[in-house]
Amino acid sequence: MTTKFSRYALWALLALGLGLGCVTGGSSRRGGLPPSTVAAYPQPVQAAYKLFAVKCSRCHTLSRPLNAAIYDYAHWANYVTRMRRHSGSGISPADGEEILVFLNYYADQNAPGTKTATTGAQQ
Amino acid sequence: MRGWLLALALLAPTSAQAFEIERNFAGSAQLDYLMVPSTIEARGFTFDGFTTELAVKVAVDFTENFSANVKICYGCHGFETDMAFVDMRVADQLNFRVGRMNPSFGDFPLRHDPANHRANSKPLPYDMGRMLRLREWNMSVLPAPYVDNGLEANGTQWFGDDVQLDYAAYIMSGFKGQNDALDLDFIQSRSGSLYYVDNNSQPAFGGRAALTVNFSDYTSGTLGASGMYGHYDPAGELEYFVLGLDLYLRIDALVIRAEYLLRRTEYALGSDPSSRFRYAFEDPGRNFFIKDGFYAELEYPFAEWLEGYYRFDGMRRTGNVARTSPLSKTSGILRHTLGANIVVQPGLRLKVSMEHWDFSDFDDEFAIHTGITANF
Repeated sequence: MTTKFSRYALWALLALGLGLGCVTGGSSRRGGLPPSTVAAYPQPVQAAYKLFAVKCSRCHTLSRPLNAAIYDYAHWANYVTRMRRHSGSGISPADGEEILVFLNYYADQNAPGTKTATTGAQQ
Repeated sequence: MRGWLLALALLAPTSAQAFEIERNFAGSAQLDYLMVPSTIEARGFTFDGFTTELAVKVAVDFTENFSANVKICYGCHGFETDMAFVDMRVADQLNFRVGRMNPSFGDFPLRHDPANHRANSKPLPYDMGRMLRLREWNMSVLPAPYVDNGLEANGTQWFGDDVQLDYAAYIMSGFKGQNDALDLDFIQSRSGSLYYVDNNSQPAFGGRAALTVNFSDYTSGTLGASGMYGHYDPAGELEYFVLGLDLYLRIDALVIRAEYLLRRTEYALGSDPSSRFRYAFEDPGRNFFIKDGFYAELEYPFAEWLEGYYRFDGMRRTGNVARTSPLSKTSGILRHTLGANIVVQPGLRLKVSMEHWDFSDFDDEFAIHTGITANF
C-alpha cells in the first residue's frame, strides 16, 4: 500500500514538475545573477555572462565564482585557466577569454569601495 | 661583490613574483535529514537522522603552470584529507599531479561535494554510506570520493574550438582488504589506522579518456570511459577491476547525466567454501562477484530560485555471498528520486527529495531527504 502510494506520488510530482516547466519556460535560467542585473550590463558582457553561466555551472554552482571575492585580473586568468584544463570542462581557450570578459567586469563592479556593486548571485 | 649581488638577486623574489602567488579559499557544508516513513525501524539498515558534510579547500596558483590544492572534509568518519596534491603542468596536454587526490574516474567524482550536485544523496553506483541496506550491500560499486595516494598524468587537447579530448593515467596505492576477504574493505582503504600506505606493495593503476563536443555555445556533450585495476589483500592475490562509462549532455538549460559502473572483485574461498558461502560453487574457479550500477539524471531550472531533477538509478550484485548474507546470488536495487533545490539566498540552498527504493531481496521503501547546503 505504502509502496504503491509512494510510487504514484513520485510520478504525480514528476508530472507536476514537467507541467510547471512547460508553463514557466526557463531555457535561460541557469544564471546566478538576477536577470535585471545582467540586463544592465553592456551587450558584450551580457553574452560573456551567459557563456560563463552555461560552462561554469557544469561542475559547481555559480555562487562559488560570483562570491569568490577576487578582484585581480591576473588572478581570474589563472583561475579560469585551471578550470579550463579540467577534464570535460568544454571551455576552449577562446571560451576562457570570453568568460574573463564577464569576470573582469564583475570584479571591477564589485571591488571594495565600488559603489555600483552587483552582487546577489542566486545560485 | 658582484657575486653577492647576483646571489641576492636570485634569492630575493621581486615584488611582482610575490604577488603572483594567488590563493582561493572555498568550501561547502550540508546538513541533511533522512527519514524513512515506510518503516518504523529504519535505524537497523540505514543512517536515518542528521548527517553533516563539510569541506574546506585552499587552492594556490604559484604560476599558471604550478599549483597546489589542499582539501579537508568532515563527514560521518570525522575529519579526513580529501586532497593534498601539487599540479605541475608542462603544457595543456601534459600535467603531473602528485600527492593525495581523487584519481580520475567517471563524471560524478568531480562533483562529489554536496554543494556541487543537486541531489541530497549520491547516485547509487557512487554511494558512500547513505544508501538503505548499506551493510547488506557493503556500499556501492565505487564509493565517492575515492581518495588515494599516488601520481597521475593528465592533459587536455582541443581540436579547434569545438572538440576537446582529455586523458588521465595514474598509479595509486589501491584499495585494501584482508587476506581472507569477501570484498574490498572501504573503511580500511580510507582509514589511517593501518597507515596511509600500500598494503601489498603492488600499486593499482587506471585511467580515463573523455571526448567533449560543443555543438553550439549552449549545447554540448561528453562521453567518457574509465578503468582501474589492482590487488587489495596484503598477499596481493585478490584482484579487482572497475570499469565505467559516462555521458553528459547539455541542451541549453536542460542537463542530462548518465553513468554505468562495473566492478569485478575476487574473494578468498578459504579452506572450506561450503561453510563460508551461502551457495554451493558449481565452478570452483569462479571466485569473484560482479557489482554493477547505473544512474540517469535530468536537471532543469524552473525558475531563478527553483531547480528540479529526476534521477533513476540502480545497482546489481551477481555472485556467491557470505553464509550470513541475506542477499541472493543475484540481487538488485532500483531507485526513483524526485527532488528540488530552492535557492534561499546566494550560496544557500534548501534541498528536498523523495526516493522510492525497489529491492529484489527486501521490502520496498520510501525515503525523504531534507537538507540545507551552503557553499562559499
